[in-house]
Amino acid sequence: MNLAKVEKSTWIYLAISLLLVIVPFIVTGRSMQFIIIQFFIFAIFAMSYDILLGYTGIISFGHVMFFGIGAYSTAIVMNRFDSTILSFILAIIIAIILAAIVSLIVGMLTLRLKSHFYAMLTLALAGLFLVGAEKWRSLTGGNDGFTFSLPEILRDSQSLYMLCLLSLVLIFFGLRRLTKSPFGRVLMAIRENEKRTESLGYKIVHYKVIASVVAGVVASFAGVLYSISLRFVNTSVFATDMTIDVLLMTIIGGVGTLIGPIIGAGLVEFAHHWLSSLADVHWIFERWIILYGIVYILVVIFFPLGIVGTIQKKFFNRQNYQKKKQQNPRRKLDEGRKEDEDELYRNG
Amino acid sequence: MMSSLLRLNQVEAFIQKFHILHDISFEVPKGEVTVLLGRNGAGKTTTLRTIMGLNKVSKGSINFQGEEIGNLLTHRIANKGIGFVPEEQGIFGELTVGENMRVAMKKEDEQTTKRMEWVLDLFPDLKKFWKKPGGALSGGQKQMLAIARAYVNENELLLIDEPSKGLAPIIVDKVTESIQQMKEQTTILLVEQNFLMASKIGKKFYIIDDGRTVHSGQMDELKEDKVLMKKYLGIS
Amino acid sequence: MDLISTLVINGLATGMLIFLLAAGLTLIFGLMSVLNFAHGGLFIWGAYTGVWSYQLSGSFIIGIIVAIVTGLLLGLITEKLIIRPVYGNHIQQILITLGFMLVLQEFIKVVFGPNQIAVSPPAFLQGSFYVGDVIFIKYRLFIIILGLLVYFVSMFILKRTRIGLIVRAGVMNKEMVQSLGINIRLVFMLVFMVGAALAALSGMLHAPYSGVIYAEMGLEFSILAFIVVVIGGMGSFSGSLFAAILVGIAQAFMAYYVPALSLAVNMLLMTVVLIFRPQGLFKAKG
Repeated sequence: MNLAKVEKSTWIYLAISLLLVIVPFIVTGRSMQFIIIQFFIFAIFAMSYDILLGYTGIISFGHVMFFGIGAYSTAIVMNRFDSTILSFILAIIIAIILAAIVSLIVGMLTLRLKSHFYAMLTLALAGLFLVGAEKWRSLTGGNDGFTFSLPEILRDSQSLYMLCLLSLVLIFFGLRRLTKSPFGRVLMAIRENEKRTESLGYKIVHYKVIASVVAGVVASFAGVLYSISLRFVNTSVFATDMTIDVLLMTIIGGVGTLIGPIIGAGLVEFAHHWLSSLADVHWIFERWIILYGIVYILVVIFFPLGIVGTIQKKFFNRQNYQKKKQQNPRRKLDEGRKEDEDELYRNG
Repeated sequence: MMSSLLRLNQVEAFIQKFHILHDISFEVPKGEVTVLLGRNGAGKTTTLRTIMGLNKVSKGSINFQGEEIGNLLTHRIANKGIGFVPEEQGIFGELTVGENMRVAMKKEDEQTTKRMEWVLDLFPDLKKFWKKPGGALSGGQKQMLAIARAYVNENELLLIDEPSKGLAPIIVDKVTESIQQMKEQTTILLVEQNFLMASKIGKKFYIIDDGRTVHSGQMDELKEDKVLMKKYLGIS
Repeated sequence: MDLISTLVINGLATGMLIFLLAAGLTLIFGLMSVLNFAHGGLFIWGAYTGVWSYQLSGSFIIGIIVAIVTGLLLGLITEKLIIRPVYGNHIQQILITLGFMLVLQEFIKVVFGPNQIAVSPPAFLQGSFYVGDVIFIKYRLFIIILGLLVYFVSMFILKRTRIGLIVRAGVMNKEMVQSLGINIRLVFMLVFMVGAALAALSGMLHAPYSGVIYAEMGLEFSILAFIVVVIGGMGSFSGSLFAAILVGIAQAFMAYYVPALSLAVNMLLMTVVLIFRPQGLFKAKG
């Protein structure tokens, strides 16, 4: 492997990951470690959402169903079988296969639809999963949920921390690789202009389905980690609030950046912790979801690019400006213009 | 010197991120038919839509009756007295012919009623199919309805985008005749690919190429100028 | 026999409530291609403010009026603050309206407390009567009649008045309506307010029907309205009445025979329609 070819940012991310390895030896408080673990888990969940929203331009309001599938698969397997590492691996395999099958079916049925319909249908589907989890009490324990036991090693806060951190780092580099591959470029082309990508001969539905399966599987894995971090599961893993949380994380951090959702997840998780601790000060903080909602609305209106996106844009514009001095970029735009005008009207 | 009703000065416009209009400058003298010529995709339709406020003006000015209208909302521009017949006609398919006309009528006073009668005399087909849904009309009838709708109000200026497009020659003659009658009463800015039709009714012309007004003159002279016609219009 | 007729009446009443919610949704979508995910929030606000004033004043009519006024005001605020800034951007609209839904829902808990509130119909609408061996529950009949009334009045306005004509024309071609000198944003605001008022009315009427109100019922009920809008065809007013009755009756029968599957059946109905006829059963064409 040629080290010189590795991007500078990769080294930075690796360095940060190594720093995070040291953290549990410094921060030994269990509750703080727990919050950081939650942050890692939601970062994974938010990255999976970014593959949909940020890279492919798909708005799903039901992404939580995959998270819930992962959480329930683990909980049910660990509850029914011995609490060994082997059953944990079995739980992961089941969670991934189930999520892949569901996302494949849902994707094939619905991804041909326009964004409104897709958003609505996924919202309703997630609602269906929620109702299902409430009604199928023999399997899920209904609203109250159930606890389950874990093998010794997964009960240990530090090893759980390492597992979640390792998963986060691996998934981050994996997804980053994916988005920079030719496949990722097609996804981004779909996001920019679906019709044009289609006219270039790409079967966009195939690409969208694959993207949604990837996102579904990763979200399901986040669900697996979530349920083992709590050693408990209930219907809240299918709740729409959870979808909003992950939307908020992705959007605040910056869609289509992968690193943005991680930052967003950190901000939301720590803010959540801090706001709930303020509940003693004033009861309004018990309703922190309102604050989330308001922040979310403001971000959508005023900073649709999120934190990372906004920074990148500023940086990128400066770079672009310098390039512009050297060559005239207008030429390139001109070439595509004539057909574009026609195309816009025919479709308009 | 004839006063000009509409004046565009170095207008630029984008559609999404595509720079479509680069430098559009022309004048429409009051009481005449001015024609915009040019190839497909040259920016003629975008020019009309930009005047109508359906496209944003990113640079330059659009002056109507001495007033800047470049960044007004579409309905305000329309209410200044500009009627628009778009390329795709914009018929409300599920409304009847009569309802299409009623949506267009700004007032229901005597004068409008009179104009309505006049328009219906001009296009008797519309009267015949008064209760038929607009979507069920033939291409020519739709075009007549679109023109009638723009004409039922007292407008200072009509923008008409390719009225002959896709119509049979006999229908084109009918449309041409109606525009000829209307030009007695109002100023018209016409986009037309059908050179024969344009030369029958137009007085002054501008050629748009690649988002720029590149040439102008009198319609009569253009007929003689084979070089120009070949260069910009592909007619030889 | 009497079981079936009871279920049909239940279904019709539920259908009318869904219709009131879906009517605004479908018109707003048809006119401005905005799918308002916050519509369920207007439904619960109508229910809570209506019930609050009904219980305070003792008059059901006052409750209904308060609900409608709340709907109009909230509609105005939603349109100006939430929809207008992201006008023309579908992705932002979808994202922002869902966020606003959540804010509306949580705000209910702040203002009225997080607990369920029990509601009963007013005295003059309590009880039931028999025609032959078919039982008619007064309040359900009242909902059905009111729903039909709203439908016919709305149809009259849409078909016979100039503003209705403009709304219908706007559903087909917004740009042309503007080019004819009509301020489409004003029309949109009006339609949005009326749609919000109908949603609020639906919430208020739903309260004594289900006997209890809680903040989460907005999102639950609006999923039914989405299903109806899809089946009826986005933008089609009559389509949404037809689909609402269909879904209402399906809901009533399933709730009686296989309660666990009642939502699933409607979802299935929507999925089938989306796959085979994505434009819905009745679709307004341009």
